[in-house]
Amino acid sequence: MKPVENNCVTVKVPADAEYVDIIRLTLYGIASKWGFSYEEIEDMKVAVAEACNNAVLHAYEGTSKGHIEVKFEMQEDGIRISVKDEGSSFDYEHKEEEATSLHNKDLNEINAGGLGIFMMQALMDDVKVHTEEGTEVILTKFLQRNGELA
Amino acid sequence: MNSDKKFSIYKEVMPDEVIIYLSGELDLSVAPEMRSDLDPFVQQTKRKLTLNLKDLKYIDSTGIGIIVSILKTRDSLKAAFGVEEVPAKIQRLFDITGISQFLNPPEGSSERKEEII
Repeated sequence: MKPVENNCVTVKVPADAEYVDIIRLTLYGIASKWGFSYEEIEDMKVAVAEACNNAVLHAYEGTSKGHIEVKFEMQEDGIRISVKDEGSSFDYEHKEEEATSLHNKDLNEINAGGLGIFMMQALMDDVKVHTEEGTEVILTKFLQRNGELA
Repeated sequence: MNSDKKFSIYKEVMPDEVIIYLSGELDLSVAPEMRSDLDPFVQQTKRKLTLNLKDLKYIDSTGIGIIVSILKTRDSLKAAFGVEEVPAKIQRLFDITGISQFLNPPEGSSERKEEII
C-alpha cells in the first residue's frame, strides 16, 4: 500500500502490563497494512513493547495508574511510533548510559537491567526520548523499498 | 480473568531432569507468575533443569531477565541448566542481547562433552 498523507492511528490503553499485548496486536495490524515485512514487524513489536513496559513500570510509580498513548504514523520514509505517558519522567538519560547487552561479559557481571532500552536501540532505526510532561519515546523504522537498497 | 491464556507452563518431571515447556507470549504481564512457578525447580540441584522453548511465540526483556537470573542461580548452585528448541525469532533476540553465549556452551566445554558421550 502506498503511504498517503495523514496516515495516523492512535491507541490509548491503561498503563498496565495486561494491555501491552493490545499494543503489539495493533502494531502488527498496522505495520502489515503499511507494507512492512514479517521480520521488521517482529522487531518493532519487541521495541514498542519495551517502551510500553517502561511506562507501565516507571511512569506512575506511587500514584494512581494513568494511561499510555501510542501513536502510529506513516511518513514518506518509514513508520514513526510514539509511546507517551503522563507520569513522572523516567530517567532515560541516565538509563540510556546503562543500556547495554550481555556481550563479552562473564556470567557473574551480567544483569538484565539495561536490556529493554538496548533492545529498542538495536531493533529500530532511530530512538528519541522527550521528557517534558511525562515521557515520550519515538521509535522510527525506515521502509525498505525493493530494489532501492542493496 | 482471561480464560484463553496467552502464556502457559507445562512441566515434565523425571528422576534426573525437569523439562519446562513454555508456550505463548512471555512478557511483563506473566513474568511474576513464571518466576514464582519455576523457583522451586531452579533451587533444586539434584535434577538438570531444561527450558523447552519450541512453542514460545514471544519474549521481551523481562523474560530474558528471568533466564539471566536462572542462569546465575544455577551457576552459583553448580547445577545443570539448558535451553532447547529455540525458535528462530527468539534466537535472534538471544543473539542481539548476547544471552546466547551463556546458553550455547562452546565446543569442548564440559557440558558439551557430556552430550557427545
